[in-house]
Amino acid sequence: MKRYLSAFIVLLLAFPVCSGAEEFLEAPVISGVHGFVKTDSRLEMKTQLSHDEVVSFYRRALKDFENIKFRDWKDATYIEDDGKMPWHSITISKGEGQETSIIIVKDNWTWIIGTLILRYIGVFMVLMVLFLGMSISGRVISGFVKRIEGRKETVTV
Amino acid sequence: MTIDEILDMLYGTLHTTGIFNFQWNVIIMWGIGCLFIYLAIAKKFEPLLLLPIGFGIFIVNFPLVPLMGFSHGHPQLLQVFYRYGLQWEVIPCIIFLGLGAMTDFGPLIANPKTLLIGAGAQLGVFITFTGTVLVGFTLKEAASVSIIGGADGPTTIYLTQHLAPQLLGANALAAYSYMALVPLIQPPIMRLMTNAKERKIRMRQLRPVSKQEKILFPLVTVGIIALLVPSVIPLMGMFMLGNLMKESGVVARLTDSAQGSLMNIVTIFLGISVGATMQADKFLSWKPLFIFSLGLVDFAVCTIGGIVTVKIMNLFLKEKINPLIGSAGVSAVPMAARVSQVEGLKYDRTNHLLMHAVGPNLAGVIGSAAAAGMFIAMFD
Repeated sequence: MKRYLSAFIVLLLAFPVCSGAEEFLEAPVISGVHGFVKTDSRLEMKTQLSHDEVVSFYRRALKDFENIKFRDWKDATYIEDDGKMPWHSITISKGEGQETSIIIVKDNWTWIIGTLILRYIGVFMVLMVLFLGMSISGRVISGFVKRIEGRKETVTV
Repeated sequence: MTIDEILDMLYGTLHTTGIFNFQWNVIIMWGIGCLFIYLAIAKKFEPLLLLPIGFGIFIVNFPLVPLMGFSHGHPQLLQVFYRYGLQWEVIPCIIFLGLGAMTDFGPLIANPKTLLIGAGAQLGVFITFTGTVLVGFTLKEAASVSIIGGADGPTTIYLTQHLAPQLLGANALAAYSYMALVPLIQPPIMRLMTNAKERKIRMRQLRPVSKQEKILFPLVTVGIIALLVPSVIPLMGMFMLGNLMKESGVVARLTDSAQGSLMNIVTIFLGISVGATMQADKFLSWKPLFIFSLGLVDFAVCTIGGIVTVKIMNLFLKEKINPLIGSAGVSAVPMAARVSQVEGLKYDRTNHLLMHAVGPNLAGVIGSAAAAGMFIAMFD
């Protein structure tokens, strides 16, 4: 009986969070939020719920979707969709204040193109560092080898 | 025994044969399998891989064959090869070990600026990503398809298995097919992107590289890659281990095994496992067609990227680089370097570009692995 009762209480507590959930670009929106700043591509809102409560809400709401990942950053939890959802990311702040801010951003080409350019530059950077590493180590070793060979020649003479 | 009982027995026996369970779509797959076997035997297109891949496609598309499924909960033969070889990402790494044991990085060490050509040649990878997303692939699928342009079979397989295993067969097949077609695909692009004067540029003979430098190279490289792109260290680590074994000269037996028998063994398992993933019900869709066409574009743009990088570098260099070696920035070792040599000789019969082209060729291997690492980091 206790088990049923506690399950009922949990359900009751979860009800305000789960029920009446609206959507923005098919991303679930917690009810009871305020401080809306809404455009076609972005929704910002605030809630009295804690960061952990908001994250657990989204974990439950998105559990059936593939290609969704949760990244735990220092000052926010970042939920990203790598699939075909109309939204791209949900950022849940870890602010110290009483309110938690949630930002939902529309899936956009700016992100894709931006990340691709950065990663292409990244490949250049990796090989550039390797180039520098090889040039420096090459010079050091060449000098070292020449010095040893020079000594050998002196000894032979 | 009545006639009905005999007919029932006959009916039951027929049910256990492939004929009774035949579906027409497998005929297409037999055709594809036989095409690759033909290309391997008659045209010598990457025969070491296309032959086992073709046979894998052929054999796995017979009805009821116990190869890629499970019997009483136990994986069947090719399922075992696939699971422990590819799903666990073991085979591509062992192939890299063998490749490392075969590779002489001397030309790259002697002229390290060619590393940048290997980076520039990854242009197609990132451009094709956009096109692939536009066509309707998911981001992970797009990443795995776009790496085909890097022209590195093991890296393509490694990344695809990691991000979009459902595309493994098509991606591997496209990568190896286009690698085999390098001598056909690249020369027209090389001619289009360069003028007669550029094609005749002579490059200074490469300096000799000491043994110490060759030993230090794998350590420096693995250290830098591990720091900057750790996600691709399984591949690059094995690559550099193989090379260190070779250059150290103290483990000749291990080097021989890595570049010989071990490499041959895993190539057999790789080929047949990749072929076995291409079952008619999974393979026959619009996606492989797009993968093949996007792969070709990818390859072409990567070639252009390498050549353009050389041209940009030439704006700042006193000693100019022949842009014909830019095309070797796609990996496809050593085929792409040979294409540069052949094209160079067409315009100056005494201008040998082979050793100069090996540098960007090897840089392409590192560049495509770095690009794969970038994608893995993006999604993991």
